[in-house]
Amino acid sequence: MKKLLLLLFAFCFSLTTGFAQEKGSVLIKDGNLITITNGNKSNTDLLIEDGVITQIGNDITAPRGVETVDASGKYVIPGIIDAHSHVAGVDINEWTNPVTAEVTMEESINPNDINIYWALAGGVTSIHLMHGSANVIGGQNETLKLRYGSDMDGLRFEDAPRTIKFALGENPTRVHGQGFDVQPRTRMGVEQVIRYHFDAAIDYQRNRREYLDAKEAYDNGNRSTPPVPVAKNERLEVLVDILEGEVLVHTHSYRADEITMLMRVFNDYGIEDYTFQHANEAFKVAPELKKNGAYTSVFADWWAYKFEVYYSTAYNASILNANGVKNSINSDSGELIRHLNHEAVKAVHYGNTSKQDALKMITINPATQLGIDEKVGSLEVGKHGDVAIWDGHPLSIYSKTLKTYVDGKKYFDRAEDADDMRLKVDAEQDFDEASGRWYNENGRHSETCLRGAEIRFSKQGMKLQGN
Amino acid sequence: MKKTAHITVLCFAFLLMFASQGWSQSPPAEAFKNVTIHTADGKTIKSGAIVWRNGIITNVGKNIDIPFDAYVRDGGDSLHVYPGFIDGHALWGSPDIDEDVETPDEPGNPGYVRAGIQPDRKASELLQTENKSLVEAPKHGFTTAALGLKGQMLPGQIDLFFINGKNTENLLLEQGVGMTAQFEEAQGQAYPSTTMGVMSRFRQLFNDAKALQQQEQYFASVSSNYPAPKQNKVLEALHPVMDKQQPFYFVVDTKENIERVFMLQDELGFEVVIVSGKEAYKQAEELKERNIPVLASIDLPEEPKWRSEKEDEDHPEITEEMRIFRDKQEEAYKADIQNIAKMIESGVKVGFASNGLDLADFGKNLTVLKEEGNLKDEDILQMLTQSTADILGYGNQLGNITEGRIASFTIFSKPFIEEKAQALYSVTDGNLIEFEQESSEE
Amino acid sequence: MTKDTEIIMTYLKSTISACLLVLFLGMSAEAQITKKAEFGKFAITNGTIHTVTNGVIENGTVLIENEQIIDVGTDVNIPSDFEEIDASGKHVYPGFFDAGTQLGLQEIGAVAVTNDQAELGDFNPHVRAFTAINPSSVNIPVTRVNGITHVISMPVSGRLAGKATLIDLYGYSPDSMAVSPNAGLHLNWPTSKKGGWWDDRSDDEVEKEYKKDLKELNDFLSEAQFYDKMMTDFERNPNDKQQPDMNKKMQAMREVVNGGIPVIISVDAKSDILDVIEWTENYPDMQFVLAGVRDGWRVADEIAEAGLPCLVSTLYTPERDYDNYQRPYQNPGKLHAAGVKVAIATGEVENVRNAPYHAGFAASYGLGKQEALKAITINAAEIFGVNDKLGSIEKGKQANLFIADGDPFEPMNHITDVFIRGNKIPMVSRHIQLYQQYLDRGAKTN
Repeated sequence: MKKLLLLLFAFCFSLTTGFAQEKGSVLIKDGNLITITNGNKSNTDLLIEDGVITQIGNDITAPRGVETVDASGKYVIPGIIDAHSHVAGVDINEWTNPVTAEVTMEESINPNDINIYWALAGGVTSIHLMHGSANVIGGQNETLKLRYGSDMDGLRFEDAPRTIKFALGENPTRVHGQGFDVQPRTRMGVEQVIRYHFDAAIDYQRNRREYLDAKEAYDNGNRSTPPVPVAKNERLEVLVDILEGEVLVHTHSYRADEITMLMRVFNDYGIEDYTFQHANEAFKVAPELKKNGAYTSVFADWWAYKFEVYYSTAYNASILNANGVKNSINSDSGELIRHLNHEAVKAVHYGNTSKQDALKMITINPATQLGIDEKVGSLEVGKHGDVAIWDGHPLSIYSKTLKTYVDGKKYFDRAEDADDMRLKVDAEQDFDEASGRWYNENGRHSETCLRGAEIRFSKQGMKLQGN
Repeated sequence: MKKTAHITVLCFAFLLMFASQGWSQSPPAEAFKNVTIHTADGKTIKSGAIVWRNGIITNVGKNIDIPFDAYVRDGGDSLHVYPGFIDGHALWGSPDIDEDVETPDEPGNPGYVRAGIQPDRKASELLQTENKSLVEAPKHGFTTAALGLKGQMLPGQIDLFFINGKNTENLLLEQGVGMTAQFEEAQGQAYPSTTMGVMSRFRQLFNDAKALQQQEQYFASVSSNYPAPKQNKVLEALHPVMDKQQPFYFVVDTKENIERVFMLQDELGFEVVIVSGKEAYKQAEELKERNIPVLASIDLPEEPKWRSEKEDEDHPEITEEMRIFRDKQEEAYKADIQNIAKMIESGVKVGFASNGLDLADFGKNLTVLKEEGNLKDEDILQMLTQSTADILGYGNQLGNITEGRIASFTIFSKPFIEEKAQALYSVTDGNLIEFEQESSEE
Repeated sequence: MTKDTEIIMTYLKSTISACLLVLFLGMSAEAQITKKAEFGKFAITNGTIHTVTNGVIENGTVLIENEQIIDVGTDVNIPSDFEEIDASGKHVYPGFFDAGTQLGLQEIGAVAVTNDQAELGDFNPHVRAFTAINPSSVNIPVTRVNGITHVISMPVSGRLAGKATLIDLYGYSPDSMAVSPNAGLHLNWPTSKKGGWWDDRSDDEVEKEYKKDLKELNDFLSEAQFYDKMMTDFERNPNDKQQPDMNKKMQAMREVVNGGIPVIISVDAKSDILDVIEWTENYPDMQFVLAGVRDGWRVADEIAEAGLPCLVSTLYTPERDYDNYQRPYQNPGKLHAAGVKVAIATGEVENVRNAPYHAGFAASYGLGKQEALKAITINAAEIFGVNDKLGSIEKGKQANLFIADGDPFEPMNHITDVFIRGNKIPMVSRHIQLYQQYLDRGAKTN
């Protein structure tokens, strides 16, 4: 009875304190640390206090009240960061216009998605929740930490830089050009849509500033006639922010020529720090990417599902890495995210990327691309306590995640993993009926970038007619 | 004496103008005696009487004086009087949404109507008076309803009516008590087609409305040398909401959508009432802090099938997995049913809105609320009457049976929450309707 | 030497080097692209041989002559005219077998004209994957350099989608590649479950349609059984009988109804699997294999009791929101533990090369390495009745094998040599060609 009361008390307490931004402390002892930036340290301790890594070394004693976890014989690596994900999202594509910079995935978060937990079970601690690839200039993305159990706001990676989704090639030309008879219908049109809107943003910025200045002057009595108001334009404001360097651009792209097109456009408008997503043909222009300081975030080895990825190679990551391009490997899928460690080691298989570099592609590299590398992506004193303990080297197919911590708080423990980990239960859904998730993710059908857009196109419901 | 006669004649003439069913001329005053009167604050007056004149309750209680010119009906100590139920957001009489829509030439720029942005529409102007719900509602105890329109993100303005069948259109109490708002995308292939798109659209509408308002103000303040603002009915309809003179009646259910309403409220600054709110209890504290009332839905989930199954029925063995699943399902079911109770407990002001709920399901769901919803009969009654009246701004005039209130109440054959209870009379704004007795349909 | 001559000499040297370099690169590129398979006599020596059926042989030798493995062991006499391939420190495995793909039938998913895996109509038993396999599919070399030597490729649409084919991944026509031109008939079991959120049919409607679909299927099978009996009768003794009209579909069903080739039933949901098991009992003369079987672990005992083999994969997300996260990985292991014969079937087209990793995850989550190896080699061969030729490294079997520098389930290891039907495959594919071309482009940046 006492135990029950205690449990009840603890339960109620945890409820009232709330999950949002909860931080924890833990001492991980005697593990094989793969720090990513400072080499591998065997039999070493790692201390996290209030969500921050405070010590890495030997013979660390746990402060009072801090749990000690024995990691002897185990591997400790930073939490994996998925630079391209659509899990934990409500809608993915505001696909009705070729440019929708005003919408943001921050307002499309589904904190109750079981895929979050399944990702934690694969050692992932942060994801880049992205808008889909239906539009040339899509919506803003949101970087999240997988604090499963938090509300929408609690999942957000506080102070992560703003990012936005662009998309080139077949997706926007198919959705808008072919589907709606609205430009762009070709890659030529894609370039012009971008340039036109950047120019419109520059004009808007000027006109809006003029109005605001005139309004202030008029309100202060320094101007005789009132100005004609220029309404604040949500869409163009974001485009202005992009031009001002306040929003990192991540572009869904495949063909080498469209990748160079965008670099040309970005150079014309002074945009830097951008990442090409998927970029299946990036290997063809690795030197140009390096020269422009562009990043890439690719699939390990998906290809051939569309014509623009027909001339791909699973050696893409290795070629980019060998040419000095900062590359990450992402999932764009609720299935691949479960084993991003396995996707990363494919860079070893295809092209002999070193194991160290392969691990960088799922930790510090995506962190850099998302502008959060000062906070996460490696085991360093001062960084967030986003770590995972594995029972073997993380690049082995036989290794499993044992525990996953975000901000030092444990969100996944294989020993305590229960079957039903849902946060939200539908009272009307009975047992056996609750099968057949609305889309099953496997192999080639999993590119979820067009989710929402393709479904309405093909009236056969979920018969994906190729992405 | 002369004055009384004068008034009597006036009343007569007045009442003649509003002839109600079955009466060519209304009597000057009316009364029920020997009835059990249930007030909204939970009190019961046995063998009581109620008198009303000119649409106002003049006297209520036990052993009260009944005026000589009051037409009296004797309840025989078997009838129950309840304050008229008030529906805070009903869709009765609203035209249906046109399902047959085409893709616009520019899906990204569909125009206000195609996008479902119609805050300039008024329920009173589009009311379909032959709608059956307007006749059925009083039979379920409703005398007053804030009627809204079906639609997408901004379907239109909510007008407050007394409900009396076809005559409803003449019984407008107030226009524009609120403005319906929803996270509903444009139909088919048009912008906005996502929740995040709808949120952005709300922002842009406010930006545009603000610019227009500013231009109107400037134009009015100068004598020349300034362009006339282009009239825009849609944006102008939003000005009262922007100026916090009219609240949004935001129809939302999930915890996350309620949080999205908070986000918009913080950013755009508007008064808001939550309509439906099936998961509102999860945000009860925040709702209380922001002083946001909830017009709750009673569209409860269907009971899990296994709950009512007999033990020995041909059923597969219950595995551990199935047991855990059912426990969670039971928990979720209970939480949904007890939504209203939890909100009230947390101090949130909870009224009622049907918001499209079929009147046929009304009684059934009330019973579930009473049996498993952790609500006492008085709580349910208060929710349906005084609380909703308060939220609508009519807390002193509607929602209870006390002196001075507008005469709107229903006379049932039994306590209204009992299964076989039937409404025999409905008094709406002083006008009495008598219902035909049905065998046992409801 | 004059200054000019010096300059010319310097330039000459670099020019000559450049030319030689270009020539060399060109030659090797040329050689790569046009490199052909080698055929004849090979001796793989000093390797660790994973025979699958006869344990692991350390420091072993495999002798290949023409299409066959003529000897395996430690004490093998190596004739002098055999080309020796030193496999010291390496491992030799039987070629991997993916028992469920559309490889060769589909080229680019989004480009309809390149796809031949889905014919129109619901009942197409006569339609054969064998006919439409494209031996030049870019996917084939990409797949075989990863150690997969054989695949089942099957049509997918409608109820009876058509006949699957079993091919090896080396050849210039389906005829030369096919091990069993008609390996099985693919049946898509109708489902009693709703499709998803867009499926707004009521529960009753779903139930009704399911029953209707089943009836259609059963009627078709009845007709097929009748046709077979009638034709058998006629063939035995055509005298005094009127020749029945030819019915292509029914004719195609004959080898199915008499158990000659199995019916491969794609089915996932638990209740559907149970229905299938019950249904197959009505057709004792026919052979059945289950494919997909994602809820299989829930009814593993029932499947085992029915003696139905299962073609499964592991890289998908759990069927139900409340399923444990490991279920897809565990499915093959749990089925095997109950006594079900499992084989790996990825269901892929351009990603068949990942079949070893499906097996690897299965191994890691309960199936174990040994059984996982069998699942991707001998089990598939047995299920499709070709284990006399395929599935293990044994004297007398066909020479389908590969050499890897470590456990092939581990992506950090590499495959160095592949043999298909005794042909030593050029380790060339589009992926590899692009890698070689672009690793060091050598050209100026823009």
